[in-house]
Amino acid sequence: MRQRLRQGRDRLATALITAGGIGVIAAVMGIAVFLVVEVVPLFWPAEPTGIRLEALWLPQDVAGLDAPAYRWQPSLADDSGPLFSLPPLVWGTLEAAAWSLVIAVPLALGAAAHSALFMSRRLRARLRPTLELMEALPGVVIGFVAGLALAPWLERHLGLALALLLLLPTGLLLAGGLWRQLPARLQRRLPLGWAALWLMPWLVLTWGLAHWLGPRLETLWFGGDLRAWLEVTLGLDYANRNAVIVGMAMGFAVVPSIYALAEDALSGVPRSLAEGAQALGATRWQTLWRVMLPAASPGVLSAVMIGAGRAVGETMIVLMASGNTALMTANPLDGLRSMAASIAIELPEAAPGGTHYRLLLLAALLLFAFTFLVNTLAEVVRTRLHRRYRRLGGPS
Amino acid sequence: MTRAYRSPSFWAALLIVAALFAAPAEAEHRIGTLDTVGSDTMAGLMLRWGERLARRHPGMRVQLQASGSASAPTALTAGTTLVGPMSRPMTEAEHQAFVARYGYPPREVVVARDALVVVVHRHNPLSSLSRQQLDAVFSETYRCGAEGGLRRWAALGLEVPSGRIVLHGRNAVSGTHDLFRREALCGGRFRPSVNEHPGSAAVVAAVAADPQAIGYAGLNHLMPSVRPIPLRDAEGVQRAPEPSAVRRGDYPLARDLRLYVNLPPGESLPAAEQAFIELVLSAEGQAIVEELGFVSLPGAVLSRQRRRLGLEAE
Repeated sequence: MRQRLRQGRDRLATALITAGGIGVIAAVMGIAVFLVVEVVPLFWPAEPTGIRLEALWLPQDVAGLDAPAYRWQPSLADDSGPLFSLPPLVWGTLEAAAWSLVIAVPLALGAAAHSALFMSRRLRARLRPTLELMEALPGVVIGFVAGLALAPWLERHLGLALALLLLLPTGLLLAGGLWRQLPARLQRRLPLGWAALWLMPWLVLTWGLAHWLGPRLETLWFGGDLRAWLEVTLGLDYANRNAVIVGMAMGFAVVPSIYALAEDALSGVPRSLAEGAQALGATRWQTLWRVMLPAASPGVLSAVMIGAGRAVGETMIVLMASGNTALMTANPLDGLRSMAASIAIELPEAAPGGTHYRLLLLAALLLFAFTFLVNTLAEVVRTRLHRRYRRLGGPS
Repeated sequence: MTRAYRSPSFWAALLIVAALFAAPAEAEHRIGTLDTVGSDTMAGLMLRWGERLARRHPGMRVQLQASGSASAPTALTAGTTLVGPMSRPMTEAEHQAFVARYGYPPREVVVARDALVVVVHRHNPLSSLSRQQLDAVFSETYRCGAEGGLRRWAALGLEVPSGRIVLHGRNAVSGTHDLFRREALCGGRFRPSVNEHPGSAAVVAAVAADPQAIGYAGLNHLMPSVRPIPLRDAEGVQRAPEPSAVRRGDYPLARDLRLYVNLPPGESLPAAEQAFIELVLSAEGQAIVEELGFVSLPGAVLSRQRRRLGLEAE
């Protein structure tokens, strides 16, 4: 009797889980089908819409300008008509994602390599929840802080930022070099596993030094005003909310997911490989660089890809930190406008069934396709990785 | 999502569902609840008027679905609401759609006046801007008669702040953006480098943080951290966005805030709507307008509108 009850419960649970899985797949398919159905009339309109499709991707002749240009100005209702150019939005999306990866990938991979190989177990147990907390921060909050606090602060302290950019890497290298020079007795007191902690005072010191040096550098090299110098000498506009700010904010949001996956990949490398390398006389660094990283490289790659997928789809951070200027410049200090942010801002006001509405859904479809592809690819790569570990005699 | 909100069948379905669930309660509350759909600029006003109405007539409630001025004509024409607040006049197409459905035009009630202010950082010494200058700063079409763009503060005759003029404004689908484009740019096109913010408060905050910035926002979002710039009219007279100038109609970038009411000619308003509009056009309602940073209407305009709607004079 009890046996049959348990069997029944098992069967019910299986059915529920299967139903849930099918439901999720159906929902994802449903979203894709909805987007495709809404976008199709754009390409095969029932009646002429007056929108030329090649104008979406090529520069258009714009009244008042000498040369054809890309313009995304969807709300012009009078004589000149709205201007729909998708390249500035695609460019903005990719630029934002690229800068956030530039900032997040070194930090996240460095942290992952350090915590998987060198960090003491106790510290590592503290680090993970902290980073998970970071991941749990809502995008609105990060975007809000970036747009209203970080952007104005950075603008006022450009000299300091430059000094930090110079001092942080050199300072950290110097710290590592100094540690090597310490007498063996002291080195034992400051074990490598706790390096992260005793780097903290060093960071504070660097910060203080940058504070002192920044304004002096600005006066010495840039005539006292870095922003004016950038503009006059290099011809770079400095927008208050720019691609670098977006990169920093979104990098902050992306770090935890890249870290978590890369750390999994690295600590999943079978111990025997690292031990073997070290037994053969390789240093820790050589072990990391020549053995661990190549072994875990598919996992690291998929971590970066997941990060890229998240960065491309992220909406609120770009919306609040980017200024939403639909520009196409390579200047990282200029603003940008992403597809996701455009959808969030404009869709509520776009007339359903109109060209603007369908174009926004086309942007949504592009985003969907991109994240879907990237995530699927990352998942495939990760499965391969686990198979490889199993072959190498690992635990999983 | 949006598509669903706009379609009449969605509303019909929602109404049916709501009626099924709320059938017993409906009978008691029908007279007391006033559902409105429309402008988000006026959301604060509607809320405060609703609170006051509830205090005057216990049991009465005002609900606003604030999803932008464009949603008001749709809801009025579909018949889901009798009162639609809008921060701009109805377009010809919206007006015609309503007439086609009901056979009479919607009644327009002006309830308050609002203005757009051009703001700079509080330390910016700029004294005033002419129409041409304003257009040359913000647009790339120069339809108001400027010869070319003004990109640097030096071009406006200022030494401080130096450098480029950093532009801030509302996002492309807001009524504020549209009004500024029509009035200040003479219908031209914004530069693509105008930072687009999701709200007027965000524009003001961004301008407050940057000495090189200039932006436009609704009058009610003015804060001490930014300075409104007087605009010069065609005769060269400076017009500051003072409430008195806005009320007289002297300040160029002003607009009326309106309620559109579905009222057949010859009929009088239903009780809830009548009580609400009576309150809005009263001294008490106009005091709320002032409290929220908008500009109240002159007494003559108020009494004329009261007469036209068949409300008793105060």
